[in-house]
Amino acid sequence: MQRNRPPSAQAVNVLRTLAADPARWRYGYDLATEVHLKSGSLYPILVRLADRGLLETSWEPAQGSRPPRHLYRLTLAGREYVAALPAPDARAARASRAGRAVPSPRTLWSEA
Amino acid sequence: MAIFICLLCLIGMVVVWFRGSAQVAPADPAARDDVLVRLLRWAVSLLSAQREEWGQAMLGELGHIDGRVRRWRFAAGCVSAALLLPPWGRAAAAVWAMVAVAVGSVGLYAFVGVRYGLQAWDWVFAAVALVLLVSYTLGASVLLRSPRVALPGLLGGLLAALIWLAPGYTFYDVITSVTPQWVGLVQVIVVPLLVGVAGALWGGSAMAGRRIAQLAAFSAALFVFLYGTLAVVAIGARGPGDPGCTGSCNIGDRLGNNTTFYLWCLPLWTAALGWAAAAYTARVRSRPATSAVPVSFTAAGGVIAGTRDPMTVPEMTRPEATGRAVRVRNGRRTARRVLLWAVVTIIVVLIFAAWLWAPSR
Repeated sequence: MQRNRPPSAQAVNVLRTLAADPARWRYGYDLATEVHLKSGSLYPILVRLADRGLLETSWEPAQGSRPPRHLYRLTLAGREYVAALPAPDARAARASRAGRAVPSPRTLWSEA
Repeated sequence: MAIFICLLCLIGMVVVWFRGSAQVAPADPAARDDVLVRLLRWAVSLLSAQREEWGQAMLGELGHIDGRVRRWRFAAGCVSAALLLPPWGRAAAAVWAMVAVAVGSVGLYAFVGVRYGLQAWDWVFAAVALVLLVSYTLGASVLLRSPRVALPGLLGGLLAALIWLAPGYTFYDVITSVTPQWVGLVQVIVVPLLVGVAGALWGGSAMAGRRIAQLAAFSAALFVFLYGTLAVVAIGARGPGDPGCTGSCNIGDRLGNNTTFYLWCLPLWTAALGWAAAAYTARVRSRPATSAVPVSFTAAGGVIAGTRDPMTVPEMTRPEATGRAVRVRNGRRTARRVLLWAVVTIIVVLIFAAWLWAPSR
């Protein structure tokens, strides 16, 4: 049974980074450098995002003797998910202004 | 003195092993097949089938990273991710069972040690036992997730455990029975060879056979050691012992024997001979077929199995890497490893012999 845990702060960070330029394909190492995550943390996050359908992957053909490289970018569902995320540090304030509860990451994660 | 020399030899062997693993001869630096790639390839090969693509992604990314430190950091992270990445499926239950067996053994050992007041030398054995138990549990937990390894490995472990306990299955027999010579031969020769051959046939390759033999060795060692420790707890200081050795001396002696036989000899013999048997079996089996089979590689060096979908995981063919060259290279590497294992096994036996006949005992 698959659990619908809310995304970690690191996963949200990865999502936001990918959403900054959603059309662009990213390399794993560049992404890890950009979000300041070690590969041991990044890849499990990428796997989970892909399992949830938030991330699409592709292969860049081999260049010379260099091996093929995996590429990542958000799917449409991933973009919508990030768009529905509250802005960092403004979530509580916005919720109080609106007088209603914002959808929690857990709900969004389950719907994804 | 002899023990220290043997230990030095052992350390030397490990150093030689790692230096051998680090040897690379790439014509193109970009296509390097260094120790990091090998390490990551090993970790990736343990991923479940549905995660294979992610393993290839890690290997591919590593092939594009320059700089020794950056490569090391990236590879280390990927190895840890590959080893822990779910799904674990049914393997999780087996891993927890292994952990329970190991924790149970440690708990019983500590209980007996405190109750009977073991001597300093016996606590050295306890420390060795603890390190080995942790190592085997970790090793088994990794192997259990490997495709087509868990079931034959556990069955092999069950067979090895039953044969090692064959001289007597009751607690009293475990403590006191003397192993007949022919049973000893079955334990250290026949069973490991059987496990290795069956593993290679079941898994379809030398690598699978080696892993099956290793899992059999680890699981048998963990189970038999727990049973042996239980026997020591149940029998206590009663029963025959060495002349002039009573009470805590008897207990320490029995626990030391358990550690030596069940945590050193059993897994070493089973893994080493099983590995050799698996390598030989795979070699004999592959001989008639290899000439007709084209060999393709991932750029990172991994052989792509014929069952993998080329549309989902890219592959490229190295024209210069013919099947024969690969076979020779793999054969040499396997032969070197088997030889090293054999030497390590002999050294461990020598350490045990030196300990047995040490004048101070």
